[in-house]
Amino acid sequence: MKKFILIALCASLVACKKEINSTNTTVVDNYIYEVNPQEVYQSNADKDKQKTSNQYISILYSNLFQTAIPLQEITDLSQIRLAIGDKQIADELILNGFANAPNIQIPSNSQMRADVELFIEQTYLRFYLRKPTAYENLQLKQLIDEDPDLTPQHIYQSFALSNEYKYY
Amino acid sequence: MDRRSFIQKAALTAAGSLVAPYILPSGRLFANSPNRVVNHVVFVLFGGGLRQQETVEQAYISSHAGQNTSGNILNNMLAGSAPSQNLVYTQWNPILSNPLMNQGTLFKEMRYENSPTGHYNAHTNAITGKQTATGLNLNVNPEFPTIFEYFRKHTGAAATDAWWISDSLGPYPSLNYSRHPNYGALYGANYLQPSTLLFLANQYFGGNLNYQPDDVERIDKVRNLLDRNFERMGEALPGIQNNRIDRERIKQFILNTLDRSQNGTLPIATPTNTYSGATGDLVNISAAWQVLETFKPSLTVINTTNSDVCHTNFSQYIQNLHKADYGVGWLWDKIQRDPVLANNTILICMPEHGRNLQDNNVFDSNGLGAFDHTGDQNSRRIFSLIAGPAGKIVQGGGFGSSVAPVGRTIDIVPTIAHALGFYNDIAGMVAGQPLLQAFV
Repeated sequence: MKKFILIALCASLVACKKEINSTNTTVVDNYIYEVNPQEVYQSNADKDKQKTSNQYISILYSNLFQTAIPLQEITDLSQIRLAIGDKQIADELILNGFANAPNIQIPSNSQMRADVELFIEQTYLRFYLRKPTAYENLQLKQLIDEDPDLTPQHIYQSFALSNEYKYY
Repeated sequence: MDRRSFIQKAALTAAGSLVAPYILPSGRLFANSPNRVVNHVVFVLFGGGLRQQETVEQAYISSHAGQNTSGNILNNMLAGSAPSQNLVYTQWNPILSNPLMNQGTLFKEMRYENSPTGHYNAHTNAITGKQTATGLNLNVNPEFPTIFEYFRKHTGAAATDAWWISDSLGPYPSLNYSRHPNYGALYGANYLQPSTLLFLANQYFGGNLNYQPDDVERIDKVRNLLDRNFERMGEALPGIQNNRIDRERIKQFILNTLDRSQNGTLPIATPTNTYSGATGDLVNISAAWQVLETFKPSLTVINTTNSDVCHTNFSQYIQNLHKADYGVGWLWDKIQRDPVLANNTILICMPEHGRNLQDNNVFDSNGLGAFDHTGDQNSRRIFSLIAGPAGKIVQGGGFGSSVAPVGRTIDIVPTIAHALGFYNDIAGMVAGQPLLQAFV
C-alpha cells in the first residue's frame, strides 16, 4: 500500500510532464491483466524482468484483443506452453493462433498510413507501454513508408515476438 | 497458401537469409563419432513403477493370495506364454513375431539404489546417471547434467538431435536439462508432452495464415529493428533454444502432427491404428514415433506413466503394462521399417523403479490388491532390456538374478554414452558404468 501511495505521489508530482500515468496494477505471476490503466515506461531500460508464461500470454491476448483473456484460455495456453520445451516455438504458435482469430483488434493498412506517426506511437504504447523515441519513430516510419505491403499485422507480430516484449 | 506451406517456405526464407552458418554449442560442426556403436538410441523409461513379479518373473496374478495363474503379459518384449485363464485384461496380439529379448540382451535383475522410490527421483536417476535424495516430485531442473546435455556438449549435436518426450506434465518438463553450471539449457533436449498438444492445442493453433515468405521477411525486418533498440536478448529466456531453421521445422512438425491427429491419418500404437483403446502411454509413444520419423534424432527418451494406476487398481495396471508393451513393440516395428533407423538403432527399456512386495489393502473389482512404491527391497528391483542390431548387440543374452543382480539404473546414462560414442568424455563425471555385457 505504501508503495502504491508513493507511486501515486510521484505521479502527481510529475504529472505536468505527461510521461507517467498512475497505476494500480502490479506485475506478478498468475495475474489477469487489466487493459487499463497501465503504467507507461519512460524508457525500455526500466524493463529488466522476464515475463512468465502466464504474463506473456495474458498480456499478448490483452494487447491483441483489447480485453482480458478468459480464465480457461490462459489455463489451456499455459499448459500448451509447458508442453513445448522451446518457449519461442510455443510463443510463435500461440501468436499465430491469436493473429488468425477473427476478433483481433488491429487497424487496417489504410488507417495506419493515414497517420503513420500516430500508429507508431499507439503501437509502442500498446505493446511496449511506452512511447517510441524519436529515433525509433524515424526508423519504423521509414520502413512503413518504403514498403506499401508492410501491414499492421506484420508490425504487430514483430512487436509480439521482439525481445523487449518478453520483458517488463 | 495454407499455414503448412507458409511455415515450410518461411523456413527456406530463413535459411536463405542467414549470413553465417549455425555454430553448434560446442563450437564445432556436428559429425558422428567414429566410436558410435549405432547412430540412434531410443530409451523407453517405464514410469510409475513396474514389479519384477508381473514383468520378468511372469507371475501375472499368482503373487496374490489364492491365485495361481501365471503368464507373460509383455509379449512383445519377453518370451513366454500369455495367461490363458482368469484374464483381468484384454489381450492384444503381439506385434513382434520375435520378442525383443531375443533381439537383444535382458538384464533380468538390476537395482534402483539408495534414492527414494519417487517418480522425480527415479526419472532423475535414470536421466542423469546420478542418485538423488530429493524426495518430492519437484518441478525443477536436476542438479546434475542429463544425458541430453552430455550428448550435445560432447558431440556438438543440435537440439533437434536430442528429444525428451513425456506422457504427462508435472515435474517432467524440467528434465530436458539441468541446473549444472557447465551444462544447462544450452545443451538441453527438445521437449514435448504430446497429449496436451494433441488434445488441447488444435483449438488454439487452428486456422490458416495467408502469409508468403516475403511476409515473414517483413516481420523479421521490423523485429530486428525493434531488437536492435533493446539491450536484452530474447535468447536469455529460460529453456532450450533451437536455431531459427530448426524452430520452423519443429513448428511445422507440430502443426502437421495436429492436423494428422485431427484428420485420422496419424499412426497410433494400437491394433486398430486409432485412438480406440489407446492409453496416454500409447499416445506418447505414437507421437514419439513422429519425432523419430521426422527428425531421426540420435537420442530420444520417452516415458510411460500409466502403470502407476497400480496404487489403486491392480487389474488396470496389468492392462496398462500390456498396452505399454504393445507400444514398445509397435515402436520397434516402425523403427525397423524406416530406412535410416533400421539396423542402426538401439532400444533400451527400463522401469524407473519397482513396486512393493506387500499390497496396500486397496482391492480392485477382481479382488486383487494394489501396490505402492514406498522403498522396500522389492521396489528397488528392476530389469532392463537392450535391443539392437545383431553384430552390435548380443542377441538373446541374459544377465542377473535375484541373488546376483547385474546393473543399476545409473548405468543407463553411461550405456547410452557408450552406444553414441562419447562415454570416454564423461567417464569421470558419472557414477555408473556402461552395461558392456550387452554389446558385441
